[in-house]
Amino acid sequence: MSTERNDIWKLAEAYLNGKLSGADINELDNRRLSDPEFASEFQDSINLLSAIKSSAEQKQVRTELKAANIELKQESGKGIKGKVVSLMHNHWRTATIAAAIALLTSLTTFWMVQHNNNKIASQYSLLKRDIEKYKRSQNKIIKDIKEQNAGPASSARYSGTGFALSNNGYLVTNYHVIEGADSIYIQSKDGAYHKAHTISFNAAEDVVILKVETDNFKFSNTTDIPYSIASDKKKLGTHVYTLGFPQDEIVYNEGYISSKNGYSGDSTQYRLEITAGPGQSGAPVLDSRGNIIGIITGKETEGEAVTFAVSSTSIIELLNNLPQENKFRLPTSGRLGRMSREHQIEQLEQFTCSIKVYKQ
Amino acid sequence: MQNDLHKEIELLQQLSDGDSAAIKSIYKQHYKSIVGWILKNGGDEQDAADICQEAVVILYEKSKNEDFRLTCKVNTYLYAVTKNLWYKRSQQERPVYSGSDDELEETIVSNYEEDINAHKERELYYDQLESALEQLGQPCSSLLRSFYYDNKSMQDIAAEHGYTNADNAKTQKYKCLSRLKKLFYGTKVK
Repeated sequence: MSTERNDIWKLAEAYLNGKLSGADINELDNRRLSDPEFASEFQDSINLLSAIKSSAEQKQVRTELKAANIELKQESGKGIKGKVVSLMHNHWRTATIAAAIALLTSLTTFWMVQHNNNKIASQYSLLKRDIEKYKRSQNKIIKDIKEQNAGPASSARYSGTGFALSNNGYLVTNYHVIEGADSIYIQSKDGAYHKAHTISFNAAEDVVILKVETDNFKFSNTTDIPYSIASDKKKLGTHVYTLGFPQDEIVYNEGYISSKNGYSGDSTQYRLEITAGPGQSGAPVLDSRGNIIGIITGKETEGEAVTFAVSSTSIIELLNNLPQENKFRLPTSGRLGRMSREHQIEQLEQFTCSIKVYKQ
Repeated sequence: MQNDLHKEIELLQQLSDGDSAAIKSIYKQHYKSIVGWILKNGGDEQDAADICQEAVVILYEKSKNEDFRLTCKVNTYLYAVTKNLWYKRSQQERPVYSGSDDELEETIVSNYEEDINAHKERELYYDQLESALEQLGQPCSSLLRSFYYDNKSMQDIAAEHGYTNADNAKTQKYKCLSRLKKLFYGTKVK
């Protein structure tokens, strides 16, 4: 076993140092294809080695910078004013540098969700997703600066999904998605960002109601919310589907209620047999008639398709406890029930949004 | 002009290679150009040194990126990053962007935030690596540090750690890496 481990490291080192022959690389590629366990071990090894390497290089740069600072102090101490050669006059329109190491680019994939909610055992992973850093080419036309200002300012961190409770900007998502947030933005179907704030939450049941701050905001200008919020728990075996944002485009998944209680028998939840990925926390779960029956909240790390959803009754309870001035009517439309699934999704898309949370 | 451009491409190439002279020259020039601004904005020379270091590290990381293209003057870029780092650090509001007719300036404004965020994530990642190395304990921790951070040869490491030869030290290194891997990936929810 341990010699086999060593072989992986030897192979990974040779791979990173470009010491593998064409035939070796072919063999490696075939093994990665046929043996997923090996492939993932190997990938982890390569990632770790390149992380160590780049961190060592950065340390070296910092050492040099500290030395430069000391030199600078000595120079000015002697009263020798070094001639400042300004770089201002140099033009940088199209200077391109290709660096040798491409491995750092995969860094973002390491960013798994970290949370410290003690209530939730380690087997249970929340589906909040770290926002991928886009490597935007600087040649690309940059969006209007005003738009830039209107958008989130810094430290993009997590994303989840949310859905409308009223057309004028009340929406619901998981509490863990916005927990500890400096600022919360929703990204509506047209791509625009809107700032939102918390109206009320129940941390134990993992629900939060948010309100979009933009004046005259509407999820849809053409139609009202087409679904209703189920006020009782649905039966075992009910077919369900969900729409969420595990990526930047909305994704559809379907499955069924596999248990009326959720994780560790939690009666405020359902256990679902449905695939859900990071970023889908807060996504609506609907039955075939277009009733919202729950909110995706997490999944078991062991089983791929075992997902948990907060029951819609938690939303209703949260709303009932709102102070009078904040109360609003929950949607009660049954319009979706008469539509084909494709048509339902089309309608739903307008009321489902990605939620971006920024933390310092 | 063409000559200047080539000089700077060369300088950045050297920076990405970790060349000592290039790193120092960029740092010194930049420090001199921003220290006054930091002092004016409520910082001291130590702040200027810290922020300047961070800005150059960000430029360094950018220069390592294979897609790296800097479409503005390097000085302007550093200046924008520095200011932003300082506003963040001193908890000041960034002044409302007053608009500029310089297209290049706008390009920078919209890009450096991403660079800073990427930088922060990377630092966090390196911190995690560092804490995994801490947890690893001895002799693994110092063996790996000697090899990767201090660039010592396997012979020297074998001698220092009392292994009979370089091959034994190497075997030990692989074992340590396997343990490090467990610690490192074990810290994250998968």
